[in-house]
Amino acid sequence: MADVTFDGVSFRYAASTIDVLDGVSLEFRAGEITWLFGPLGAGCTTLLLVAAGLAPRHTGGTLVGAVSLLGRDPQATGSARFGQIGFVTATPELQLSGIAATVWEEVAFTPANLGWPIERIRSAADRALRLLGIEHLAHRSPRTLSGGELQRTVIASMAVLQPKVWLLDEPASSLDQSGRIRTYELFRAEADAGAIVILASEDADALSTVADRVIVLNDGRPVLDGAPGVVLAGDAIWDRGPGSTSIAGLARAAGRLVESPLLAAPYPVTVAEGLVRWR
Amino acid sequence: MTAPGPASPGLARRAHPLTGLSTAIAVTVLAFLVPPPWGPLLLYGASGVLVAICGVGRAIRQGVIVCLPLWVFLFLLHGLMGGGPTRSLGPLTLSADGTIAALVQAGRFGAIITASLGFYHAFDPSRFLNAVAARGWPMHVSYLFVATLHALPAFLDRAGASIEAQRTRGLRYRGGAWARARAVVPLALPLILGALAEVDERAHALEMRAVAVGGKRTPLDPPADTLADRTIRWSLLLLVLLALVGRLTSWPM
Repeated sequence: MADVTFDGVSFRYAASTIDVLDGVSLEFRAGEITWLFGPLGAGCTTLLLVAAGLAPRHTGGTLVGAVSLLGRDPQATGSARFGQIGFVTATPELQLSGIAATVWEEVAFTPANLGWPIERIRSAADRALRLLGIEHLAHRSPRTLSGGELQRTVIASMAVLQPKVWLLDEPASSLDQSGRIRTYELFRAEADAGAIVILASEDADALSTVADRVIVLNDGRPVLDGAPGVVLAGDAIWDRGPGSTSIAGLARAAGRLVESPLLAAPYPVTVAEGLVRWR
Repeated sequence: MTAPGPASPGLARRAHPLTGLSTAIAVTVLAFLVPPPWGPLLLYGASGVLVAICGVGRAIRQGVIVCLPLWVFLFLLHGLMGGGPTRSLGPLTLSADGTIAALVQAGRFGAIITASLGFYHAFDPSRFLNAVAARGWPMHVSYLFVATLHALPAFLDRAGASIEAQRTRGLRYRGGAWARARAVVPLALPLILGALAEVDERAHALEMRAVAVGGKRTPLDPPADTLADRTIRWSLLLLVLLALVGRLTSWPM
């Protein structure tokens, strides 16, 4: 059974004349990392907001269709009440509580609001700091952190809940290469442990090997849906989506200059595939 | 103005956060209950001494800066334009009653502003949140209180960044009044628009961090509420009640 479902969902912001989501029907399964990929304005962020119950409750606008999150309607009371949702955006500085004196307190902020017993908060916060590799920042003020440290703190602030559903909007945009790898490894481990991970990102090179499934959105509709190795290798993602990985782009561009079966679709998606093809 | 809290290691920071809040509220109420003309002036003096003892003496200077325009206005309104007998002070002819009224009001505002600034400088958001969570305050109420006090330094931080950004683009905001006036729009507009643009995202974040969930928050590290703190708070309450009784029974309404 899918734990997050969209059934004929359309959404329009109050000031808009077009549907940002247009009749979307999707199921997201536990144990999978689903990567939402699309050009600007495709509806990836809005899909996450709707799943979290933030749109239209907070944003205003009109929602048609049914959304189910862990068997409940996130629009009714807001998904935060479930205490099982990890929601991360691309602007970590806006996700801070703003009142925590230390990174540890920042991470413990949400469980404290949910009224968890203090012993449970302590062990969960320590575990979350370890998971993100920021134990050494525990006593630092969040105001003094770099962008990457801040982003890892925000992810830790959600990891502390041990969420069943992760809703992630460009969660690694402020991280360096090693930080991104570590963060994606965390999401991989969470999915392997049974969580649903839905991740919107432009980071095709990294996510082509991390995600189990990619859904390409365009004009508020899913236009491609499948395994990244298949979807990213085709021509359709260039025609109807935002493009593919650097290697696929290189192969496609070269194929326009030189006619060769080595440079024809399906394109290699990763460096490893490129080496196999061109060796 | 700096962020509230960590810069003040004095007595005020060691006291229970509700003691500081109670003191600021008590001074505000007393300012209107103590008998004029000397009551408000003495209360102002006492507030100054109190914040100095508590290690937040900068509240005195800042209080004077904040109050000065108001004092000048009160002096003009009551001292120069008031009725009754007059006295000459150099080239000025002052209303005696009006001058006393101006001093009373100046004392009241001085006491309130100084005590409030003292509380502000001693304010540690995290300690306060833990203290009120231990008292069972609902999270959304305490967060609203804390966030309001925290908004000003955050806004000033952002203003500093905005000024630097505009300077790199060649904006000249120093010099005469005209140069400063012309700089207001390019400095203020991005600041206000930026703050408005972030409102939605902040609201999403706070929702997902269960600020509005309701119910009792778990205090992470509640500060000690000592016998001295409790004695001070009860004493303040008693003082306010006594002043209220005195106000109702002795001096004219």
